[in-house]
Amino acid sequence: MAQSTSQAITAGKAVQTQQNAKLEESLAGWTFMLPAAAILLLFMIVPLLVAGYFSLTDWNGRTPLTNANAYELVGLRNYQQLLVDGRRVSDFYNALKNTMYYALGVVPTQTALALVLAVIVNQKWMKFRGFFRTAYYFPSITSSIVVSMIFLFMFSATGPINGLISAIFPSYDPITWLSDNRGVIHNFLGLFSLNADSFPFLRDTELFRIPLWEWLSGPSVSMATIMVLAIWTTIGTMMVIYLAALQNIPGQVYEAAFVDGATNWQAFRHITVPLLAPTTFFVITLGLIGTFQVFDQIYVLRNDTTRDSVMSVAYLVYDYAFGSLNDPRMDRATATAITLFIIIFVATIIQRRVTGGDQAK
Amino acid sequence: MRNVRFVLVLAVLLVAVSIGVASAQDPVTLRVWSGASSPVENEFKEAQFAAFQEANPNIVLDVLISPDYGTQIQAAFAAGDYPEVFTVGQFDFPSYVDSGLLMPAGDRIVDADDIYPSLQSAFSDADGNAYCVPKDFSTLALYYNIDHFEAAGVEAPTADWTWDDMTAAAQAITDAGIVVNDIPVLGLSAAADRNRWMAFFWANGGRLFNDADEIVFDSEEAVASLDFYANFVTSGIGAVPADLGGAGWNGEAFGRGYAGMTVEGNWAIGYLNNDFPDLNWGVAELPTAPSGNKGTLTFTECWAVSSLSAEDPAVADAAWALVNFLTGPEQAAATGDQGFGPMPARASAADSWLTAQGDAGMPFVAGADYAWAPVFPIGYGDFTTAVDEGTVDVMTGAATAADAMAEAGEIAREIQAEG
Repeated sequence: MAQSTSQAITAGKAVQTQQNAKLEESLAGWTFMLPAAAILLLFMIVPLLVAGYFSLTDWNGRTPLTNANAYELVGLRNYQQLLVDGRRVSDFYNALKNTMYYALGVVPTQTALALVLAVIVNQKWMKFRGFFRTAYYFPSITSSIVVSMIFLFMFSATGPINGLISAIFPSYDPITWLSDNRGVIHNFLGLFSLNADSFPFLRDTELFRIPLWEWLSGPSVSMATIMVLAIWTTIGTMMVIYLAALQNIPGQVYEAAFVDGATNWQAFRHITVPLLAPTTFFVITLGLIGTFQVFDQIYVLRNDTTRDSVMSVAYLVYDYAFGSLNDPRMDRATATAITLFIIIFVATIIQRRVTGGDQAK
Repeated sequence: MRNVRFVLVLAVLLVAVSIGVASAQDPVTLRVWSGASSPVENEFKEAQFAAFQEANPNIVLDVLISPDYGTQIQAAFAAGDYPEVFTVGQFDFPSYVDSGLLMPAGDRIVDADDIYPSLQSAFSDADGNAYCVPKDFSTLALYYNIDHFEAAGVEAPTADWTWDDMTAAAQAITDAGIVVNDIPVLGLSAAADRNRWMAFFWANGGRLFNDADEIVFDSEEAVASLDFYANFVTSGIGAVPADLGGAGWNGEAFGRGYAGMTVEGNWAIGYLNNDFPDLNWGVAELPTAPSGNKGTLTFTECWAVSSLSAEDPAVADAAWALVNFLTGPEQAAATGDQGFGPMPARASAADSWLTAQGDAGMPFVAGADYAWAPVFPIGYGDFTTAVDEGTVDVMTGAATAADAMAEAGEIAREIQAEG
């Protein structure tokens, strides 16, 4: 009896010491995390909540919040007008359509190209590896505004790109790359003399006030040019991430494979790609989030002619808040921003399921 | 405990009193915000502030001239802590008044009769109360390339040109087959911009509301004006600037010689003189509409005093002293002498501007008499978006002017019905 009591006490003490140690550990952990957590809270979580709150009001973004009647709570009215039955619901769905084409075009291309580039510059036999790594990474560290300005010049009607094409194909009728709002899929079908009238069903059926035919336009030529720009600038970052992961794959794995008679392609297909799966998940996630938030390139490259054909959801947020001078709509801008957040969140979860990222450690 | 509280209250009172005493003696500080423009214009503003500072040593100016002015001041408004004196563009004005950001002018504006009525009315509310004082303005007129006109054998535009004359001239210039830098010259550089074609809308009697307050945006005269403007592009005797050698705007397309004519404001004068000194060009008033009237658009900016200033008479007086100095006859004449672009908002200063600009300035000054500031009421954002999209659709041939304007008009009616 006495013995068991003392045992219990000892055990209790042990548990207590363990608990103390745990407490100390978590205290230390939180202390280390404090700066990051505070910054995250202050600049991410709080603004998110504030934006969420204003999306339920009718605040125009200008009336001082210190005024008693600066805004009223209007419930979900902004979301309803934005997404369901507003007179301009097509604005949002058009922006969403553009953004989706943009993401669908940019993310797979930049991921695949980044992987290929990373594998190439990782080869031991390759000369000037340092030079190529720097060259591919360079666009990523250049300001996106500067890169956009360069593209504006390169892709202008009389710019070097058109000059080059004309030199190769003298009969080429110069395209104004950045002022062309025809959809590329429409253009492609146009080659076979197919247009809206060839598909009366698509022409006459509307989804969110946009005809199905328009939904299937593909990105506009201008948007496609911006996609090229985006791929070119982000590819370097993704390549560096892949490069780091490649160098983590132990050489023995490849040696074993080659001893077993694997070809280079088989090694790439059955060793490199599977072992890079967690990195691929990461790169795709980054890519998705980045493409859904595309703003600055569009800010620079949008013009009178391309207005809606390059409108992205993130740009729409800006446009509602600051673009319309005689009718600023901060309420609608925040509702759009929150909707965009939810879309990215859902897209990431779906992507996680599809690419098996949830199993990745 | 009670003692502590007493000491605290005492301390707060002391601080408050000392601040009060200090502010009674100290000079008034005014925060003055404005958007950055061309370097010349920014320097001119700085010089104006320095001159005021010298004449009023008891008023301290804390000046901010910012390239990102619009966003910056909107954040300041939202926070409820905004400058005492700032510039307001015509498009921002209705919502600034609606949000209670501006102090009504009352009878504080000096020599108010001298200011062009069309400008002052752009900065007055529906009941005619003035809020801020126009500083300068621009109007649209027709730039034409003298060499292209001669090559095509067309007489230079005059003040009694009609719409048909303009179309015929564009056709003749296009048909003349002039080529500049491998690019075929077209008659007109026509930006797909509501703030260009609505000059013709206004001239032809287009209005958003009629006298009975009904929406008449899609009236026959209004549709005819967009038809007239878009026709230049759809029939190939004109193009948007991007399709004229990839120009960034009308001024560039015209300056490079790719278009025989363009509709632009007086800001293009300095640009053409600096960037294209060899270009042989002239300016005429916009042609007379089928309605028999002339019309153009005006773009103007004013100096305003914030509603916050109204709370302290000393600040309000200082702020209005500054605004009256900046917009008064003397500075208006100085604005004219500078000749960097915008015209002074006072009729008395028109001559000084014309002297600086030469003949090219005449049509713009003439336009002040029949100009309209194309600002729509607050809450009509969806309508203006529809007009902008409609403009592009019509000019790319994706929609007819009648359909596009009917759609925009329908939206305006919906907005009006919602109140």
